[in-house]
Amino acid sequence: MTGPLVIGRRTAGWCAVALMLVLVALVFEQIRDVLGPSGMAEGGPYDNAAAYPRGVTLVLLGLVALQIVVQVVARRRVPADGFTLRQLVRPAAVIAIFGLYLGLLGPLGFHLTSAPMLFAVMAVCGARQWWQMIALSLAISFGLAWFFESQLDVVLPGGIFHLNIPW
Amino acid sequence: MFDMLLGGLGLVSSFSTAALVGAGLIIGLFVGALPGLGPLMGIILLLPYAITFPPVQAMGFLIAIYVGGSCGGAISAILLRIPGTPLAAATLFDGYPMAQNGRAADAIGIAISASALGGAFGGLILILFSPSIAAFAAGFGPPEYALLAITGLTAIAAVSDQSMLKGLIAGTAGLLLATAGTDEFTAAERFTFGLFEMSDGFNIVAIVVGLFAISEMSNLLTGNDLLDRPTLSIARPGFRTVLLVLRHWPNLLRSSSIGAFIGALPGAGGVISSFTAYAVAKTFSRADERYGEGAEGGIVASESANNATAGGALVPTLALGIPGDAVTAVLIGALLILGIFPGPTLFAQHSDIVGGIFLVYMLANIALFVVGILLTPLFVYVLRLRKLVLIPTVLLMCAIGTYAVGSSIFDLWVMFAFGIVGLILRAGGYPLAPMVIGVILGPLLENNVRRALLLSHDGLRIFIDRPVSATLVFINAALLLCVFFFTLRRHFAGRRSKPLPVNT
Repeated sequence: MTGPLVIGRRTAGWCAVALMLVLVALVFEQIRDVLGPSGMAEGGPYDNAAAYPRGVTLVLLGLVALQIVVQVVARRRVPADGFTLRQLVRPAAVIAIFGLYLGLLGPLGFHLTSAPMLFAVMAVCGARQWWQMIALSLAISFGLAWFFESQLDVVLPGGIFHLNIPW
Repeated sequence: MFDMLLGGLGLVSSFSTAALVGAGLIIGLFVGALPGLGPLMGIILLLPYAITFPPVQAMGFLIAIYVGGSCGGAISAILLRIPGTPLAAATLFDGYPMAQNGRAADAIGIAISASALGGAFGGLILILFSPSIAAFAAGFGPPEYALLAITGLTAIAAVSDQSMLKGLIAGTAGLLLATAGTDEFTAAERFTFGLFEMSDGFNIVAIVVGLFAISEMSNLLTGNDLLDRPTLSIARPGFRTVLLVLRHWPNLLRSSSIGAFIGALPGAGGVISSFTAYAVAKTFSRADERYGEGAEGGIVASESANNATAGGALVPTLALGIPGDAVTAVLIGALLILGIFPGPTLFAQHSDIVGGIFLVYMLANIALFVVGILLTPLFVYVLRLRKLVLIPTVLLMCAIGTYAVGSSIFDLWVMFAFGIVGLILRAGGYPLAPMVIGVILGPLLENNVRRALLLSHDGLRIFIDRPVSATLVFINAALLLCVFFFTLRRHFAGRRSKPLPVNT
């Protein structure tokens, strides 16, 4: 591993705890503001749609509290490994490209977005044989489109241009 | 049992079933051989395709991927010293030295033959035991089912590779995620945030693809081997390698039994069984067998055990509807999408489907021997595939496969969000399988808890008034005590050891 740690295991552990606490907060907020006022958070086991999620959330909260204690007590013993900036750049870039792809998939359609996404991910991975990358991107995206559209009758997003190939 | 198998024979005996099993095996061996994929990933990516078929054919396809994937990891373990899946980690102890001694083809042939024979043994266990377990469970009521669901979850958390407490947290979060959508009792919408796409809750395919595939691809991207193309010579194993395996028949039987038994325990999967079988085989071996230096028996032990595990894992999955690991959780998800509810009712009402699933499982293991031996050169070519091609292809398949299930862009965003969640949990050392199992078991648990409370005159006492549910309460309490005991023991053991240097 080269370079200083950007996200150590300890930080990642706290991020996971925060994620669980957000989940707990969301459930309680929904029970208080949505299920409660509509009368779905009262009554017996049949009528009370909030009782079970509330119970599970309380169990989760208890477990997360225990995990917080464990993390606080064991904070000096957590191994000093984690991810460096260099290690994180590529996954972050690919996640961003994939998110952008999903955002454009609806408006532009599968055929206009998939090959560029494949090309971009290959470029981020370090490929530099441009013609080979273009050929591979087109082959993979049209190959999968053919399989799903013609063999499985899945209508892939056509976007605003309604680009769907009649295989 | 024979009626069940005869009924299933009618559903299995078609060219399309055989073709799907063959295709599933090839895909399974492919994803198993490629480091970073594995049977779970193969099943996830092909799930949208599988559910376009009738239940038995779909299960034949997915189970064949499971069987092939459990074996495929051995090819890269033997040739590259990199197990394609963790299941094959014990195989490289003797497989790689054997290949270095010029016996790569024999090592791969032994791995495939042992996998096929071990898998078939697991199938026999499945056929013999699951009907009896289902018959016993037919008398279960809501309290027993609720506690069985909890047992499945606590058991997988208790044997998590990482922290048990983190396993429990992930599983409980999965239970909570399963509550989103329309409440089955009151038809009230819960945690939908006003989105009509959420009225059926989260799509299980989107959750599984996001959690496992996206996070795994991101993990691969942190490596420095994206442009590497391994140079390998083609290995051509022969059918006679089965004779080499049969020379180790006591080891084969013992390891397969260990694999099937461990597979049937919730949470204890193929990795545990293959290492346990290897350790036991080494203990019973003669000194001149030289385990760790290319012993045939070492490959026989690990490979027969990890494939027998698949048969064992299907016992609670089919008989009780309780998945033992992430793969069987996804298989249950597939059955639910197809309108089939695993458990005693399935055995009582659709015994032909159960018989069909038994038969496709056996067929997959028999075909594994033939397909695996014949197509090994192809999988050696596959190992030359560079990750820079593999990663974007898998990402595109994630998107297209998730979209195909419900033609919903919303599901793609759910997948993406769970991809981020998977990344955070993985980085924090949380196991992901309990979360998926929680999502699968969530509806079963909630429905049965509420039904039990409706039946009860004394509230929660119903869970300890009945003998089976009281036993399950005891087992769960013991498992939870184990979790807390081991968490504390790990903590105090750590306090006595020297603190690690902290990089700031």
